[in-house]
Amino acid sequence: MRVATVKHPIPFRDWLLVALSVLLVTLTLFMARLEPLFQALFPDVSNPVYRRESFLQLTLDHLLLVLVSSLISVSVGVGAGLFVTRRGGREFEPMVSSMAAIGQTFPPAAVLAIVVPLAGFGFVPTVVALTLYGLLPVIQNTIAGLNTVPPATLEAARGIGMTQGQILRRVELPIAMRVIIAGVRVSVIINIGTATIGATVGAQSLGTPIIAGLVGNNIAYVIQGALLVGLLAIVSDLLFERLERRFTFGA
Amino acid sequence: MIELQGLTKIYGDKTVVDDVSLRVDSGEFGVLIGPSGCGKSTTLRMINRLIPASRGRILLGEDDITRLPVEQLRRRIGYAIQSIGLFPHWSVAKNIAVVPGLLKWPKSRIDERVDELMGLFHLDAGELRDKYPHQLSGGQAQRVGVARALAADPEVLLMDEPFGAVDPLTREVLQDELLRVHRHTRKTIIFVTHDMDEALKLASRIALLNAGRLVQYDRPIELLTRPANDFVRSFIGKADLGLKLLSRRWVHQYQQPATLRGASDESVRISGYAWEVDKEGRPVCLHGGRLHAEDTQERTGVTPEWSATPDMTMKEALSRMVWFRVMVLPVLDSEGRLVGEVTMHGVMGQQPCA
Repeated sequence: MRVATVKHPIPFRDWLLVALSVLLVTLTLFMARLEPLFQALFPDVSNPVYRRESFLQLTLDHLLLVLVSSLISVSVGVGAGLFVTRRGGREFEPMVSSMAAIGQTFPPAAVLAIVVPLAGFGFVPTVVALTLYGLLPVIQNTIAGLNTVPPATLEAARGIGMTQGQILRRVELPIAMRVIIAGVRVSVIINIGTATIGATVGAQSLGTPIIAGLVGNNIAYVIQGALLVGLLAIVSDLLFERLERRFTFGA
Repeated sequence: MIELQGLTKIYGDKTVVDDVSLRVDSGEFGVLIGPSGCGKSTTLRMINRLIPASRGRILLGEDDITRLPVEQLRRRIGYAIQSIGLFPHWSVAKNIAVVPGLLKWPKSRIDERVDELMGLFHLDAGELRDKYPHQLSGGQAQRVGVARALAADPEVLLMDEPFGAVDPLTREVLQDELLRVHRHTRKTIIFVTHDMDEALKLASRIALLNAGRLVQYDRPIELLTRPANDFVRSFIGKADLGLKLLSRRWVHQYQQPATLRGASDESVRISGYAWEVDKEGRPVCLHGGRLHAEDTQERTGVTPEWSATPDMTMKEALSRMVWFRVMVLPVLDSEGRLVGEVTMHGVMGQQPCA
């Protein structure tokens, strides 16, 4: 079995993905059943499992935060990357790149501090912070991906009579897709981790038990939240890896 | 048919193509040649409007190319380039099928066409159909590039130094294949190169450009025998002019009836050599035929390396004579029968008319 996994790393990764997904779903649904375990680990704590909201609800809220912010990051990021690689937008590339870089260097907590007074507490400021934070890898990889398209391929595409739209849809995007997806992967993984801080401004997520645990000095809550966030990140990463492989040609 | 009329391209204050007029008739193999920067690629790329012309007109058949929608024009013109530009994310079959796909041919017709083209270029469809470009050898990729350019049966095929990036051996094979495909399809081809030997081998018409101007537009043999000026002379090169000339002459133009050996060695003594043939008329060996007439006892066995075919160039035939140090070479038909001979004396004698 061990030899087989070394020889065939892909089936091993598939197996890992299935195992971790099962673990994630089981823990989300049945965290409360682990009460004896947490009680044994943390005998001083009176309520060793977080029960204010169900972990299923927290996970769904967490995913919604990540999904909405990632969708915005990806649309804006891919759009901006496309714009600055077209003939009309090339001169904007340095500006767009540096703006995206600023978005990433700005700590999400600081973004929250700015957005909360403007947009209030909860979901919206968290989505704004996550969106800005996740923009850079998407833009960077979109530009890098489109630049991997060989000039001769573009010349051939033009020479045989493809329209600009056909060149983009049938040649540029498919060739760049693997690199673009790698950017989305980084962006989503970062946001899965970062979405926990939404709890500080009242956006319910898997950060909620973590913050509650930190405030109430209950390490068990912190571990429960962090465990699910970690699993969520790894499972998403493995899923993206599969997606990337689909855009590797003839390997 | 394609006709350039007063074609001019100006970048800023630099005229890169200057008032070029020429006409490539249907079925001709036209070659644009000249030193780097002479405007040959620019001229080619104005034909499919990858570069807009500053002045002048280009006619494709009856149509002024600027009157046609640009994508529609390009789908009527095959285009093959040096770096091939295959789509790396598509299989060989999908690469070849791209223009018929753009023209919305039915799928069954596209599949048929892909198989037909792969056969034409000796690409093993069973093995290569689903391969990706990076899995091909340089020669295979180049064949796919040309097959793709021919896929939708275009009226004209434009080729921009298509064999510039492959090794000399493969280049020769690809040139032979292109000639064969040209004979087979009678496509009008416009081919850009800077290699005079390639031009002489392929072209039925050569346009020599220098500094954006058309210096001479002629059949290859006329370029060699009647150069318009010193530039043409120097571009062709003086060193092996005789050999270049022979590269445009064919064995059948020099071929004479073979001297057969009778029962005795009489014929060998008279002409210095004679062929011994078997019952089917295949040559077995040559008696004599060496530089010094007294060597009539020498025999040379006929091999595929030491023989010629009627459609071989005289340059190659001469090379074989020199290599084997025999003054005469047998000419064989496709069955291997002796149909004639070419001799060193014949090469040196009267030049046949073109």
